[in-house]
Amino acid sequence: MKNPVFDIDNWKEITATLGRNKTRTFLTAFGIFWGTAMLALLWGGAQGLQDLLRRNFAGFSTNTAFVFAGTTSVPYKGFSKGMWWSLTQTDINNMRRNVPEIIAASAVSTISTTASYADKSYATQIQGVESQYPLINKPVIYEGRFINESDEKNDRKVCVIGKRVAGELFGTASPIGKFVAMDNIYYNVVGVAGQTSQIHLNGKIDEMVLVPHSTMQRAYNRGQNIGMVLLSCRNGVTPTSIRPRIERIVRANHPIHPDDKQAIEYLDISEEFEMVENMFSGVDILVLFVGLGSLLAGIIGVGNIMWIIVKERTQEIGVRRAIGAKPRDIIMQILSESIVLTTIAGIAGICFAVIVLHVVAIFTTEDGNTPGFQLAFMHAISILAAFLVLGSAAGIIPAIKAMRIKPIEALNDK
Amino acid sequence: MIHLSDINKTYPGAVPLHVLKGINLDINKGELVSIMGASGSGKSTLLNILGILDSYDTGEYILDGTLIRNLSENRAAELRNKLIGFVFQSFNLISYKDAMENVALPLFYQGVPRKKRNKMALEQLERMGLKEWSHHLPSELSGGQKQRVAIARALITNPAIILADEPTGALDSKTSVEVMKIFRQLNDEGMTTVIVTHDPNVGAQTNRIIRISDGLIVK
Repeated sequence: MKNPVFDIDNWKEITATLGRNKTRTFLTAFGIFWGTAMLALLWGGAQGLQDLLRRNFAGFSTNTAFVFAGTTSVPYKGFSKGMWWSLTQTDINNMRRNVPEIIAASAVSTISTTASYADKSYATQIQGVESQYPLINKPVIYEGRFINESDEKNDRKVCVIGKRVAGELFGTASPIGKFVAMDNIYYNVVGVAGQTSQIHLNGKIDEMVLVPHSTMQRAYNRGQNIGMVLLSCRNGVTPTSIRPRIERIVRANHPIHPDDKQAIEYLDISEEFEMVENMFSGVDILVLFVGLGSLLAGIIGVGNIMWIIVKERTQEIGVRRAIGAKPRDIIMQILSESIVLTTIAGIAGICFAVIVLHVVAIFTTEDGNTPGFQLAFMHAISILAAFLVLGSAAGIIPAIKAMRIKPIEALNDK
Repeated sequence: MIHLSDINKTYPGAVPLHVLKGINLDINKGELVSIMGASGSGKSTLLNILGILDSYDTGEYILDGTLIRNLSENRAAELRNKLIGFVFQSFNLISYKDAMENVALPLFYQGVPRKKRNKMALEQLERMGLKEWSHHLPSELSGGQKQRVAIARALITNPAIILADEPTGALDSKTSVEVMKIFRQLNDEGMTTVIVTHDPNVGAQTNRIIRISDGLIVK
């Protein structure tokens, strides 16, 4: 028995019939092409978009809360309401000691200043951070090192300068070991850093000068005061769940009324992240619906065009039947035409989508960080498989119609 | 070769049409026969039944020793392929296939390998004097050439009979003469041929004229 796949005549038949009406074949193929391309673009694009959004948080611990002082709203212990107060080193020490769920905490204080080196100066901010800070907002170290515990304990006058600051003050030369002056105090540069995330803590690391928090408290006569506290919780614990304990610890140390809801500002950013994650699921569902829609449109297009092809070829099919084609031969012919058309156009569509995704990926690459604007191989295969199965299914109705053509009807149709 | 006895055929419909009203006909091996009749006389229906393209209601049709009745589509296709060579008025060549491929098509459905059937097709074309036209598309051939390609296609399976439906209907008189010459020549070689026509000149060139009128054969 002849094998339809390896018989060159079958292929010749298919290409000849598809090539006979080029416009129609092209338009159908375009429908499938567009369907697969849209599906592939949506699928790969959704992933890329998510990566792009996630990049904004890259390196930032998402299970984090910011604690900072507001103004009191209830008079307490002889102090009137509307009082300014400040978190202190004692507060953060107590938090570390009493809340085991905290895996990393850092005091963060920021002051505007001007950094200068030799004849160059740059308006920036000096930010005091503690050695656990990298566990919460992971810096990208370009050169040297970050501030460590030893710097902190010894109140060393060392600093890590932002990449941008380094560029402004030192150009292309290495700043390590040089001294940068801020408010008439000289700090030894131990590192150059930046950050990947787009989260600003009074600015990005790239544009600031980081110093040990203890050094900053002394340099600016801030005593024990700190600007804010960053808290990162261990997995499975939300920052909101430890909030009552944190507030109790702070109240014990400050004249804040137990019912004062405004005095302690507490921002749980894990909730914001959760919102973004929910949005991602929404995007996934949208992609599914739009994708299925384009899939369906493409398939209906194939079925439609195969129907017209069958109608147009009634006479030819009649002749074939008269000279000995069996109904099965006719079905195979029509089906293989729709399968070939679907396969070629589908592969072209996927290739097109992959190229587009790749171009998008190139244009959105930042600092060597490429978002995942790409179609997983298995996704491409499943799109193609879906189109093939449904494309053949759509070809079946016209094929059955073709099979039912009686030779005499066709031959009388002169 | 062909044996028809009391063939009746009615087309159902709001007003049922009794087209064949008891046809009795025998055609022997090697005969060249023409069936003539006015339009509506039932000659096309008779041809369709002879060609296993249509069924009949009652009676008996034996073709080359095979009883043709209640056949499945597959069996009918197989018998048409093996026993009958069709020649049509409008040639019915497939426009995007060249002459050789058109001639080879019946063998394609028999599952004959490509090289073999193309070789056989070339032989048939040579027999029709069209060897040098074997790679031309039907649109590049004249009417007479097309009909000769169609005859080559009909002959390639070495059928028991040739059924020709108005084979000269679309041709001018000169070409008609040529085509009829081919039929006569085939007949001389022993081919059983049935030609349906309303052209008396064509009928005159056959051995026997069967006249059909109002669903019955007129003696």
